[in-house]
Amino acid sequence: MNDLDQRLLAAHDAEDYAALVGLYTQAADAAKDLDAACFYLTHAYIFALEQNHPDQGDLHARLKAHGREE
Amino acid sequence: MDTPQTDLSAVRRPIQQARGLPNAHYIDDAVVAEENQAVLASQWAGLAVASDVPETGDAVPLTFLGMPLLLVRAKSGTVRVFQNICRHRGMILVEEPRKIEGAIRCPYHSWCYSTEGKLVSTPHVGGPGQNTHEDIDRSLLGLIEVRSHIWRDVVWINLSGDAPEFEEVFADLIRRWSDFDKPLYHGGANSQFQLPVGCNWKLAVENFCESYHLPWIHPGLNSYSRLEDHYNIEESGKFSGQGTLVYRQFKAEDGSVFPDFPDVGEKWSDAAEYIAAYPNVLLGAQRDHAFAIILVPEAKDRTVEHVHLYYAESDTSEEMRVSNATLWKGVFVEDIFVVEGMQRGRMGSGFDGGKFSPAMDGPTHCFHDWVAGKIQGYRDNTNQPAQAAE
Repeated sequence: MNDLDQRLLAAHDAEDYAALVGLYTQAADAAKDLDAACFYLTHAYIFALEQNHPDQGDLHARLKAHGREE
Repeated sequence: MDTPQTDLSAVRRPIQQARGLPNAHYIDDAVVAEENQAVLASQWAGLAVASDVPETGDAVPLTFLGMPLLLVRAKSGTVRVFQNICRHRGMILVEEPRKIEGAIRCPYHSWCYSTEGKLVSTPHVGGPGQNTHEDIDRSLLGLIEVRSHIWRDVVWINLSGDAPEFEEVFADLIRRWSDFDKPLYHGGANSQFQLPVGCNWKLAVENFCESYHLPWIHPGLNSYSRLEDHYNIEESGKFSGQGTLVYRQFKAEDGSVFPDFPDVGEKWSDAAEYIAAYPNVLLGAQRDHAFAIILVPEAKDRTVEHVHLYYAESDTSEEMRVSNATLWKGVFVEDIFVVEGMQRGRMGSGFDGGKFSPAMDGPTHCFHDWVAGKIQGYRDNTNQPAQAAE
């Protein structure tokens, strides 16, 4: 398990949803293909939506650009 | 299976010949279930108060007649009531009162809703990382909103969705208390309390709306609020209660009083009224403070009384508010053994609904007649034969 995975699990355990936005964005940026990237972006976006996080607009735009969100 | 139907003809007679509601309306599951649909779900019932969600994003899960509901102050500031379930798998959305910072995220598959009820995201609904699907029309899958209306801070709901407009149903009461149509300020955490009582909710209405019991159950009121200073309020088919002509303001030890509602009028200097707004909201209006009691039915023989006190201004003395709440709680607690005793009394097979005092029990009879009328109307609607097929 790499460092990012461990930090993601720790943030889930701590219910630190603000941290999850950043960590899933990092996971998306490091993903090997578009589908994997959009999977992680989706998680980042959903936690951003829930938290009214300032990144929600950018995350939505990225998903929409790939035809993955309305 | 047919619902067993009680005979309500005696309830609907003039008070001189009438009997109260039969025992089954307090102790029989099937009869109470039918009545709940007719009298609570099909009417405008009190659910909560808007002050329960003072800030935008505040959300409180509630249960009414077994239905999971969510009271929310949306980002627009509007207080809304939704069924507290996700449109995907019917999962409960919000388990505890909390602040919704952004979206309401279902804890199961993370479908997200705005506080206005709009479905805003459906993660992985078209496969991993694909959040749309041609068969998922978000515009058709918002939260199921329950019809609601706010008056005197009470959040009234019409679960069936087909009752006449609130302002139409309560027009006479709104007009009667138009002098009190002023801003109400909830007294805060120290001005609300809950009283769980072991009785059907109707018994709390019945006890509240008549003054006959005051000298026996609340002897402390005798010194300044004698029985003969009270009058009955009976609006057939609408509401009932009692009024007093000798209302005395709450006074602190140093003689301080709460400020009056502005320009409330000379009429209310010494008068006050206490009205049961059918079905389940008990209201008090006085020159210097008001209250609302929402009777939430928990079971056929269990009710929680949610009591809220209101003032004319937002910055009244906290010490006085606490004292006033203590005073009212003492009065309402005095009634508990009565409503619980009447509930147990409904197990007496010889009880025929009871013989009313034509002089003193008018408000109670008025309520029973209203309940019986709503049940009869409900039966008439549900028992209509289906149109024969051609």
